Amino acid sequence: MEIQEIEKRVKKVVSQVLNVPEDTIKQGSRFVEDLGAESIQSLELVAGFESEFDISMEEDAALNIKTVEKAIEFIKKYVDAK
Amino acid sequence: MKALIYEDEKWMDLTPLTYLRPVFELKCGATNLLEKILPKIHGMETGLWIRDYLAPLIQKKYRQPVNKKDFWTEDIVLVNGRWLAKPADNLTLEEEAIFTSEGDIVYAVIRKETINKFWDGDLYSFLAEIQKSLPAISIQAKIINYPWNLVHYNSEMLEIDFNNKSKKGIEGKVSSSTVVYGPEDRLYVAGETEIHPFVVLDTNDGSIFIDRKVKIFPYTRIKGPCYIGEATDIMPGANIREGNSFGPCCRIGGEVEESIFHGYSNKYHDGFIGHAYVCEWVNLGALTTNSDLKNDYSTVSVYVNDSLVDTGDLKVGSFIGDHTKTSIGVLLNTGTVTGIMCNITAGGILPKFFPSFIWFINGKYMKGFGIETMLETARRAMARRNTELLQEEENIIRYIYEQTQSLRNKYIKKTQR
Repeated sequence: MEIQEIEKRVKKVVSQVLNVPEDTIKQGSRFVEDLGAESIQSLELVAGFESEFDISMEEDAALNIKTVEKAIEFIKKYVDAK
Repeated sequence: MKALIYEDEKWMDLTPLTYLRPVFELKCGATNLLEKILPKIHGMETGLWIRDYLAPLIQKKYRQPVNKKDFWTEDIVLVNGRWLAKPADNLTLEEEAIFTSEGDIVYAVIRKETINKFWDGDLYSFLAEIQKSLPAISIQAKIINYPWNLVHYNSEMLEIDFNNKSKKGIEGKVSSSTVVYGPEDRLYVAGETEIHPFVVLDTNDGSIFIDRKVKIFPYTRIKGPCYIGEATDIMPGANIREGNSFGPCCRIGGEVEESIFHGYSNKYHDGFIGHAYVCEWVNLGALTTNSDLKNDYSTVSVYVNDSLVDTGDLKVGSFIGDHTKTSIGVLLNTGTVTGIMCNITAGGILPKFFPSFIWFINGKYMKGFGIETMLETARRAMARRNTELLQEEENIIRYIYEQTQSLRNKYIKKTQR
């Protein structure tokens, strides 16, 4: 899967879970500070990404990701390994 | 003759309550099953036989040898750890036989020759062999098969345990405005306990045993039978209805009926818990409530090993595994089972089953923050009560985490988008 496709789908999940318009989500957006994620929503984001890409991520590492850009990179590794 | 208290394969039917403890540490009445069994084998050299992964922790807690294969050197009486023994129950040790109740072994008297013939270090196969070769004698005895059995028998065992302890009267500090409503000889208040003003202790329908260092705050009503374990706090205005066992070191508020709480669990705030079994280190958020009766008054079914089993009972509450936490306002369905270390948040109609270590948020099962975070939370919760998570306990939790992974994943998949 191309990185652009992953980015598009990551932004779709973030928009749905955090209830923010997709066009306000940038690569550098921080989940907590810029997009207003509560700690419990980080769990929903991980669950959303796993469902969207049909992957299973290591929780501790996944929950340490702070930005959309890092999430895209992290998810790409799992998608490539499929 | 030696005695060996064992758990058989049916420990699985008692999960999640038995994930972190042997079956004989389950509570019913004022004590656990082991405390009820030990007087039956008083004076005998006694060993314990349990799941291997529990052995290091249990060996640390008890002086009895645990899972020692060289323990089997002479005649032995094997006692089922799921036996709910009563003071009137006695062992017959004269003849080699298996004593059963409704198909379950209660105890078995085994001669050395039989041990030499069948014992190869595997208890389950040994039990199967002796069931084929020794005479079976049916006796009247209660065996715990499912979690709801413990709740079902709790009131009866509370009365038996009160009589068995042979303690009555008031040794602690009781306010002059506390009312004992009913026979005073059905009440025991241990030393160092403090009962504040305007508390009603209703002994009309059952005894009340209040252990040491308990605090009962004002405007609380406690109805017997009831056992309140050491250093437990009963919060102001609590409505403690009949048939409850708490503690040690619990904090109990709101309305509670016919429920069993292991030590160090909190139900600090308002909310109703009835016909429930709550393991250690559980925290129920404010207004957490469980249903214990269906609206159509039909019998309640409960998940056992991922399948629904009809309990045959009309009143069945929740079965909550160790270290599980609920948020404020959680409404648990009738006959709900939550595994160990779950985090359940409020919202909508909740499912009746939560696999261990699951996080349930906005109607979805999730993996949560991971095992390391959950262990850290457990350490923090235990430190607040000056208790430490032992390495042996951590090892068990990690083992169960691995063992329950596939079940957890199955449920996560169920609610994925």
